[in-house]
Amino acid sequence: MTDLLKIEWLKIKNYTAFKVMTIFFVVGVFALNYIIYTVNKNIVNNVPGAGLVSFSPYNFENTWQSTSYATGFILLLPSLLLLMLFTNEYTFKTHRQNIIDGLSRQQFIGVKVVMAFIFALVATLLVVITALIFGLASGTTFSLHGIVFVGYFFLKAVSYNLIAILFSVLVKRTGFAIGIFFIYLGSENIVSQLLNVLSMKMKRDSGTDLGNIGDYLPMNAADALLEFPDNPIKSMSKAIMPSDYTWLVFALALAYLVIFYIWSRRKFISVDL
Amino acid sequence: MAILSINDLTKNYGRIRALDKVSFSVPPKTVFGILGPNGSGKTTLLGIIMDVTKASGGTYTWAGEQMAANDFRKKIGTLLETPNFYHYLSGEKNLRIAAKIKGRGEGDIEKVLRIVNLYERKDSKFQTYSLGMKQRLAIAAALLGDPDILVFDEPTNGLDPAGIAEIRELIKQLYKQGKTIIMASHILDEVEKVCTHVAIIQKGVLKTVSSVAELMNAGSANAGADVLIDISAADNAALKSIIEQLAGVASVTAVDGELHLVCTENITGEMVNRFCFEKGIVLNKLSVKRKSLETRFLEITGRQSDK
Repeated sequence: MTDLLKIEWLKIKNYTAFKVMTIFFVVGVFALNYIIYTVNKNIVNNVPGAGLVSFSPYNFENTWQSTSYATGFILLLPSLLLLMLFTNEYTFKTHRQNIIDGLSRQQFIGVKVVMAFIFALVATLLVVITALIFGLASGTTFSLHGIVFVGYFFLKAVSYNLIAILFSVLVKRTGFAIGIFFIYLGSENIVSQLLNVLSMKMKRDSGTDLGNIGDYLPMNAADALLEFPDNPIKSMSKAIMPSDYTWLVFALALAYLVIFYIWSRRKFISVDL
Repeated sequence: MAILSINDLTKNYGRIRALDKVSFSVPPKTVFGILGPNGSGKTTLLGIIMDVTKASGGTYTWAGEQMAANDFRKKIGTLLETPNFYHYLSGEKNLRIAAKIKGRGEGDIEKVLRIVNLYERKDSKFQTYSLGMKQRLAIAAALLGDPDILVFDEPTNGLDPAGIAEIRELIKQLYKQGKTIIMASHILDEVEKVCTHVAIIQKGVLKTVSSVAELMNAGSANAGADVLIDISAADNAALKSIIEQLAGVASVTAVDGELHLVCTENITGEMVNRFCFEKGIVLNKLSVKRKSLETRFLEITGRQSDK
């Protein structure tokens, strides 16, 4: 596997989009969290009375969760990069060449999946560092409270990356794959919102509480595990919301990962390249 | 022991049958040409034996394939159809990837780049290469690690005349070094010049397979008729009626202002010339050809191109 990863590294290290997107992502993670940090600080300092219900997202109590949640918004970047790297192989027909030169199909798709995990791991590491920096900057004492959300972040990152691989294998053409990827994300979100409204209605009208059904969809399962830390506004709306079945959503998110993996692998191994 | 044995290989694309139960084996240390018109299934066949295309039926075995199929492929130098490289990487970096996949050191890279005359451009990005340079880089990649088996699909595609001559010379050299070369081509001349064996495929069906020498000698449609002579004179109609009287002339066809004669082995140009002259006709063209692969090919596949 080390050799396979070295080959992947040869492919990406001189790829301009790789450098650009890596810089965007690293800067983006810091910038995004910094904005939230500053805005919150300004509100607490300048809005009269805000201090009373004050809540600091980057206290060590919350920093793991807040950073994970905020960074989740730009998780598309690494998965898009992965999608571009994979569909490039189809464009250049190097997926054929690699096989002809002596990789097995299993090795070819296998190392892409490993890359998906590595990208997710690097993003997670970045979250840990960022959370630590802002936590320390908040002046509170170190705590691992809410560290589980970093794990959820990792899960979400792997989900995004594996679905990027699935779309690459299914669509093959770079522009097309990116387009369909976005359309899918958009439409799944809309469907998910509708389902969540339905869940709310069901709870109110008949008392049936199935949780947020919309969260059970593939991408939303990974998303739903990450929420902004509880704060005064959120607690007010809690009463009318259906229950959070975190364990169910977690199990589903894992199941979807396995499905993405098996589907991509099977597809790549069985077709004409 | 054959280097490659193919048994009943079949490939369907939807309702189109691209390969229909093709079987043959490639003897070691030969230049084995797979000859066929465009769209006859040559590339499909090579794709299947390199595992980028999945067969619908049949099997293939590489010599002594005790090792995994992909490990065996590492020992084959291959050029299929178009050169496939990372556009944003230089020629040399592309070869590094290929060498790494094949499990070879990087020591070979300079050598193969020099063989194909690309060393000076090794640091230019692949996307800046001309079609001929791309093809030469692909040949360089195929030569990495000095493989004993080479698979080429239309190796002279996109090359200029000098490049074509170089590649043919290279193939002959590789053959002399004792390597086995499997080569698909639709260029008869190319096959005739470099191949020792040939398989002719048409519309996915194997028409014949043999050594080139055997193929040339065994005329099926007009056995024994091995000399082709083209002649013409001022009055071709008169010439035709006269030359038909010459014993040993099997057939006469008028084509584009000249007559094509198919004759038995013992007829020579001199005999034809004298015969005509004695009958009062002066030839303004006389050209004697041995039966070429082209005529054999057309006999086997018919004169229509595949539609």
